Amino acid sequence: MGSRPWIFVSLILAALAALPVIVKSEYLLGILSVCFIYGIWAASWDFMSGLTGRENFGHALFIGAGAYTSAFLNARFALNPWWGLPAGAAMAVLLALVIGFPTLRLRGPYFALAMLAAATIMQRLTLIFWQYSGGEEGIPGLDPLLNSKIGIYYLCLAALVLTTAALLLLARSHGGLLLRGIRGDEAACQAAGIDVTFYKIAALVVSAACAGMGGVLYAHYQEAVTPDVFSVALSISLIIMVYVGGIGTIYGPAVGAILLALLPELLRGLGQYRLWAYSVVLIFILFFAPGGLVAPLWRRAVGLAR
Amino acid sequence: MLNILVFGAVTSAVYAMLAVGFTLIFGVARVLNLAHGAFYGLGAYSCYLLTGRLGWPLLPAALVAVLFVAAFGVAMERFLVRPLRHSALAVLMITIAVALLFEQAMFLLFGSEARNVPAFINATWSYGELDVSGQRLLTLGAGIAIVALLWLFINRTRLGSAILALSQDREGALYMGIPADRIYAVVMAISAAIAAAAGVLTAPFLTVQPTMDLLPMIKAFSIVIVGGLGSIPGSILAALLLGYSETIVAYAISPAWTEIVSLVAVLLTLILRPAGLLGKRAAF
Repeated sequence: MGSRPWIFVSLILAALAALPVIVKSEYLLGILSVCFIYGIWAASWDFMSGLTGRENFGHALFIGAGAYTSAFLNARFALNPWWGLPAGAAMAVLLALVIGFPTLRLRGPYFALAMLAAATIMQRLTLIFWQYSGGEEGIPGLDPLLNSKIGIYYLCLAALVLTTAALLLLARSHGGLLLRGIRGDEAACQAAGIDVTFYKIAALVVSAACAGMGGVLYAHYQEAVTPDVFSVALSISLIIMVYVGGIGTIYGPAVGAILLALLPELLRGLGQYRLWAYSVVLIFILFFAPGGLVAPLWRRAVGLAR
Repeated sequence: MLNILVFGAVTSAVYAMLAVGFTLIFGVARVLNLAHGAFYGLGAYSCYLLTGRLGWPLLPAALVAVLFVAAFGVAMERFLVRPLRHSALAVLMITIAVALLFEQAMFLLFGSEARNVPAFINATWSYGELDVSGQRLLTLGAGIAIVALLWLFINRTRLGSAILALSQDREGALYMGIPADRIYAVVMAISAAIAAAAGVLTAPFLTVQPTMDLLPMIKAFSIVIVGGLGSIPGSILAALLLGYSETIVAYAISPAWTEIVSLVAVLLTLILRPAGLLGKRAAF
């Protein structure tokens, strides 16, 4: 890689870091913070599913697990919200292992279906066991991680940049190469003596940990959790964001998520039609731009011939 | 006891109707149709539109609703699934886009409140401790009849043989001159029609809401995984197994725990016998 992409990246990051100095609107900074969290979720989805080609239809399971774990510890046991970050990630990892072990050793659509079922059933359970989970209202009145909106903005931005950078490094490492190999030809990888099940589960664990931490950030940004964090609509929205960004590129989905999450906020009145618009966008992408939009444009902009 | 026997049978019949269509289209066309729940919901909503808004009598409304959903399934297969068949992931994504569009369209058209669809039979039937609505018994009867007819159709007719042949060996079937695309359309129509029939039949005693498509679909593919992907007898067996397990759990412990039954069943199946109860390489 030449120096040109780095200049671009630095410029964009500098602009985002300088934004709170220029824009004083706490409302806009709040929206952007949520968009960054979406970016973390989309990048973490892409790390497992984009690289290995095992599509995950219930990423919200990890997000919700992180959010609810932290909310529970904070609201019931008055634990400092910062402890929620490791606790939420640990719970997401636990769930990843429970679902991953039986399903990822198999070929076929079992993993996708089991994740979708698990996330949906968790959402139902939060409604059914309302005495503990607060039901439809969820758990309100959580402590924020930081007291100033600007602080939270920087926290979310830092979390997004660090996660994306870490996932990109992992994806370009030897292990990441193996994950791409699994996507290309699983049988050949197995024949070459690679423990493909281990690599797939490891990727899922990393992906779940990032998503769970994103969930914790989200819960404490909202200062509440509701069963919506487990919703299929969230899982599917993330996948659509990944498709728009360019599947398998990690940075593409992160940017795609920020743009798609920002869109309904910028176009007033679109909010109600958000999912409708997303599904139309998805159909368009599948037919006309299977490589996504963000990643190909970025490569052209920085002059990478890949 | 009698309650468990009858209500378990009704639940199983609904599950079987949903699962056979889902497994059929997977077994034959290798399409994992995540819009299957949308077919079920679309059946119920079409019936609501015709009876509730346009004032049609129930029987023609039900028939038109089922035919409409079958046509919708064929159109989806022709215009959205077929062009993307080269990539399994793209097919999966397009079906989920259709499911999402269904939910949003119903939400925008009819709002989020629950809608009522009239029942074919309003009487209830009591025997000892048992107290069951006629509509549930009709659903049970219709479910058995539909699954039996599907069974006869596949095993006793020429078209059925073509469907079987395609599911067993696509290339071989193509060499024998079986028009694969046309058969896929037929199978999609059958699969959509059965799901819509289940929607029309259960709508009077379940809720008709935009989000109604999700849970039945999750049940359908849980059953299909437990029974073996692509196996129709497996789906029927697993539908009975899950239908009765859920009913027993609801009576013995609490209805709250029924949702976990299917997830546990799926995970246990995948750990102990990934192919499913009756799953084989051949589809049926």
